[in-house]
Amino acid sequence: MKKNIAFLLVAALAITSAFANGKSEETASSAKEPAASITFLNSKGEVQVALEDLAKAYEKQTGNHVEIIACGTGEVPYTKVTTMYNSGNAPTISMLDQTDVYSLYKDYAVDLSNEKWVAQTNGSALTIDGKVYGFPFCIEGRGIIYNGAAIDKTLKHHVDLGTINSYSSFKSLLEQLRAAGMKNPVFLAKEDWSLGAHQLGFIYDTYDGTTAGSAKIINQLENGLDPLTYDRFNEFIKTFDLLSQYNYYQADPLGADYDEGAMLLADGTVAFWPNGSWAWPNLAEGGATTDQDFGFIPFFLGDDTSDFANTGIEAAATKVLMLDKVQASAGQQQAAKDFLNWLVFDPTAQKLLVTDANIIPAAKNNPNKPLDPLGQNIVTRMAEGKTYPSCFIAPSDHWSVIGAAMQKYLAGKSSKDDLAKSLSAYWVAQKTK
Amino acid sequence: MFALPGLVFFVCVVVVPFFYGFYLTLTDWNGMNPVKTFVGFSNYVVTLHDAAFWSSMWLTIKYVFFSVLLINVLAFLLAYLLTNGMKGQNVFRGGFFTPNLIGGVVLGFIWEFIFSRVLVSFGKGTGIALFTSSWLSDPTKAFWALVIVTVWQLTGYMMLIYIAGFTSMSHDVLEAASIDGATGWKRMRDIIMPLMVPSIVICTFFSLSRAFMVYDINLTLTKGGPYDTTRLVAMYVYDMAFKSRKYGVGQAEALFLFLLVAVVSIIQVQLGRSREVEA
Repeated sequence: MKKNIAFLLVAALAITSAFANGKSEETASSAKEPAASITFLNSKGEVQVALEDLAKAYEKQTGNHVEIIACGTGEVPYTKVTTMYNSGNAPTISMLDQTDVYSLYKDYAVDLSNEKWVAQTNGSALTIDGKVYGFPFCIEGRGIIYNGAAIDKTLKHHVDLGTINSYSSFKSLLEQLRAAGMKNPVFLAKEDWSLGAHQLGFIYDTYDGTTAGSAKIINQLENGLDPLTYDRFNEFIKTFDLLSQYNYYQADPLGADYDEGAMLLADGTVAFWPNGSWAWPNLAEGGATTDQDFGFIPFFLGDDTSDFANTGIEAAATKVLMLDKVQASAGQQQAAKDFLNWLVFDPTAQKLLVTDANIIPAAKNNPNKPLDPLGQNIVTRMAEGKTYPSCFIAPSDHWSVIGAAMQKYLAGKSSKDDLAKSLSAYWVAQKTK
Repeated sequence: MFALPGLVFFVCVVVVPFFYGFYLTLTDWNGMNPVKTFVGFSNYVVTLHDAAFWSSMWLTIKYVFFSVLLINVLAFLLAYLLTNGMKGQNVFRGGFFTPNLIGGVVLGFIWEFIFSRVLVSFGKGTGIALFTSSWLSDPTKAFWALVIVTVWQLTGYMMLIYIAGFTSMSHDVLEAASIDGATGWKRMRDIIMPLMVPSIVICTFFSLSRAFMVYDINLTLTKGGPYDTTRLVAMYVYDMAFKSRKYGVGQAEALFLFLLVAVVSIIQVQLGRSREVEA
């Protein structure tokens, strides 16, 4: 028995060392390859195939190879990047959330201020201390998604959703829908990222509608501002209470299933879903088609009809591309810069981004129109000035910690005061770090 | 000489990471920072004051206690039934073992669907109040959902070990016992149980360590929810290190977990060993 084990170990050692040799040769040879070969970490699972197509098209045109690395579903992009950096394997281009780039840019990001594409992005490039560190990959927006046909069908007349522009008018619409037979017109997802970051996040984003403004209110919260004295928080809770009062899953709010919710909205069982443009693939899976009337209304805050929070929805550049300056060679950095310019200026790339990857590009020179109704709605709203570009920056655990507090509130297991206390405690703790 | 390759492995994959991990507990590293500032034992002080960590630890202890107890009682009974020569016992053995072949992640997803969709529509259809709302949306029920799925997964595995124990048991002893008049419960308590102690020790050890370190089922079944009430300690440590980006604190907390598991396992094995008998 012992002999066998020893033999196995020796065999295992021999095999692994063989692998190790193979690997070191491989890395040695890849270092000798033309520097133009670069890697791209994609953290937006739904565009993986489209990005691979883009990389193929790029290689065909220029001969330069871009390898698209997928960040698995459920894998946190930041964690993936951490692992890749620590194993000496950093991606040349990493697709990250803004907040991640904020914690990395000092040591790792290439300064992109002098790139040609910057002029095309309407200031949506990630800029820190006057220098550009991130390429805005796409525009995403969030508010309350509606199913127009379901509303019209229930009320038996056409409702112009443009006239719904305050908490009260939204409330009366919900009452009418209930009276007309749609008992619970809202689907409220229980996901912590949805509750914590995307819904509660409105209290930061609507401070004055800019990222700088959201930083201001966050700073005040860190310094002990009681959320109960902040209007946006009170308005938010009022709207959130209204939504949960008309929630399809109100008997068991934390039993709500995300995919089922998408189906409910797609087939018109419910009419509203507070969510963002990324929900389109789910809706499409649930049976929604691009010719149907889906779009956004704002997450209403209070009754001031001229308030930008009640006329517009949040839409900002998300998914930032950061270039590595530590492990990438000068040639690779240049190749990565070229690739970004190609994404913005090449007609093939412009088209593939919109029709294949289904994103709203942040670059204004892209002539293609999005295919899905949610994307179209955002583009229309942006043209009409009915969006605000704030994208609040919070620590990496904000969505899960505050998400849990919101879940507790949604389940009726904590009061508004408790929620305000949790929120305040979270921010004050960030200050002392 | 023969131990050398093994020793090298052991040093590489256990000893070195262990001490490197210990070193990390003394720093404020966030995972990416090129500079690791030395902060002494302050991470341990943070850990001691981290109420959420200790409540998660307590929850884990409860979870381990119930899981290990149920797994071993059930596995023991199943093995006992399936070694008595009943018809089709091989099919049953295979059937009970199958859940163990499904990975914890997949298992979690399957059961998440069962608890949040299948049972709910069953409950709504039949009016049984216990199932009308999802088990996963209530802290207590979600905890038991975790226990049930763990038991479901590990029972088959432990059953195999018990079956091996039963089949290797000397028939002479059992026969002698029945001639001496030991039947039913008496035979079980005084003859079978003492002879099965080695199997019980192994099974308890396996189920203990598996249950303490569980992460996959926790992640896919409850995601720690509702509102972080079912976050077992392994998930808590992961969140601390990767979500809150405090490697030092996470690593220090992992060390506490390691100590607890080590101590519990040693006590358990020692206690069990002292009860072993020679047939």
